[in-house]
Amino acid sequence: MIQTLILGVLLGGVYALMASGLTLLFGVMRIVNLAHGAFMVVAAYIAFFLFTELGVDPFVSLVVTMPTMFLIGVVVYRTLFPRLEGSDRYSEMTVLLTFGLALIIEGILGYVFTGIFRSTNPSYNTDAFLIGDLFIPKGQLYGSVASLVLILALWLFLNHTKTGYAITALTQNRTAAQIVGVNVLRTSTISFGIGMALAGAAGSLLSYLFTFFPGQHWQWIALLLSLIVLGGLGSLAGAVVGSLLLAVLAAFVSQWLGSTWSPLTFYLALFAILLVRPQGLFGEKEAV
Amino acid sequence: MFLRVTDVVAGYRSGPDILNGLSLDIEEGRTYCIIGPNGAGKSTLLKVIAGILAPRQGSIRFRDEEVGGLRPDELLARGICFVPQDPSLFPKMTVRQNLVMGAFLEKDKNVVKERTEEIFEQFPLLAERANQAAGTLSGGQQQILLMGRALMIRPRLMMVDEPSLGLAPQAADQVFETIAGLNGRGITVLLVEQSVERGLNVSDWAFVLDLGRKVFEGPATEILADPRIGELYMGKAPTIE
Repeated sequence: MIQTLILGVLLGGVYALMASGLTLLFGVMRIVNLAHGAFMVVAAYIAFFLFTELGVDPFVSLVVTMPTMFLIGVVVYRTLFPRLEGSDRYSEMTVLLTFGLALIIEGILGYVFTGIFRSTNPSYNTDAFLIGDLFIPKGQLYGSVASLVLILALWLFLNHTKTGYAITALTQNRTAAQIVGVNVLRTSTISFGIGMALAGAAGSLLSYLFTFFPGQHWQWIALLLSLIVLGGLGSLAGAVVGSLLLAVLAAFVSQWLGSTWSPLTFYLALFAILLVRPQGLFGEKEAV
Repeated sequence: MFLRVTDVVAGYRSGPDILNGLSLDIEEGRTYCIIGPNGAGKSTLLKVIAGILAPRQGSIRFRDEEVGGLRPDELLARGICFVPQDPSLFPKMTVRQNLVMGAFLEKDKNVVKERTEEIFEQFPLLAERANQAAGTLSGGQQQILLMGRALMIRPRLMMVDEPSLGLAPQAADQVFETIAGLNGRGITVLLVEQSVERGLNVSDWAFVLDLGRKVFEGPATEILADPRIGELYMGKAPTIE
């Protein structure tokens, strides 16, 4: 029981990092970024390349994947998204745009790397701490701690820096943010970059915690959407709590019913939360 | 000229023109009221001057500089601020945080702190609720907070859109008391107000708009006394001669 709980919490920490970038983009810009999983897989390939060709540890690769994905995010946002700004159906258009982007990324990755399953294999990934009867995999523990440190850094950035205030202001009221002098385009670009940097960090961790291939991003985005809907779209705290809750629940389902049923937990939870509390755990009802 | 709007044409997204070649002049240190029927373009005019909406044609000059089409933050840096009619507070931030956000463009933290305390001195009700989330304030309190937040940047021109909308009479009185004191601080005011009589009472000059154009202008006291304006915009019964 405690063993299952520990494994669920460790995995939940990593899911929280994956979901935080996605929920940030929705909160600030109302963008449902269906390409988030694809960007994570891109970063996983970068980490894989660094590990296999240069022997760079996945954690060290964070210093490459995060800034690289930040820059890719800035270019992608400035090139594609401002064109949609005038649309009456901005959010819907961003869904279509990011869906297309995900397909393009998948196609390029498939062409370059083929569909072979990949994974990095640092030494700690097959090692574990043993505390009494409890078994704590080192790879998952390190990944979870790194994720929570990055989420804490994001929280501190949002709550203690001028750019962070601007992002928070945009999340709460776009017009009000404009009125007090927030440069919406600049702040949105930085937010998109940060969202991508978090996808980059998640990719580095994904590269050794899971196997991956180009088309796998669809599974990831489906799972991540269920996490942020449970937590409340746009809520960082919601993403963390939602991730921990569902990962623990999935771990117990896996133990009781078998691992085949585990992924289903996320989608059943998604349906349940949409029926019972559509705004999610930390979300607020939107005025009609 | 403090602010000169010349032949401005503007509308929303791909929609029709709301302002159709509107021109008006604003002198420094006075309060102006804009009146007109629904759809006349009153709020649209304020949004265009504030940079929320870009003009399709025409010119907006502020203190002899062309400012038409600049971003809201660029206009705010020049002292043009806007208090819209839509709820435009940060609901989850406290009253104090909302005020601090009002001075977002100010780099000196000490200045921001001083100004926040000044606002608290002027509006004790905000000081009493400094740590309360803005979204939990009453309509009147929110409007006062909006005015306080706008004052944080020390504006030269303050544009206020429908400040009494949805407020109880007592709360509206409080808001208008604040507006009436703005000229004394060296702030020029451009006001759009549904309660025409109330708006004209605190103004020096008024513009009457219709179909996106200025159809009339004059001293607020004269417009207030004009029976035609009373019939059209203040719901007064027509005079039978």
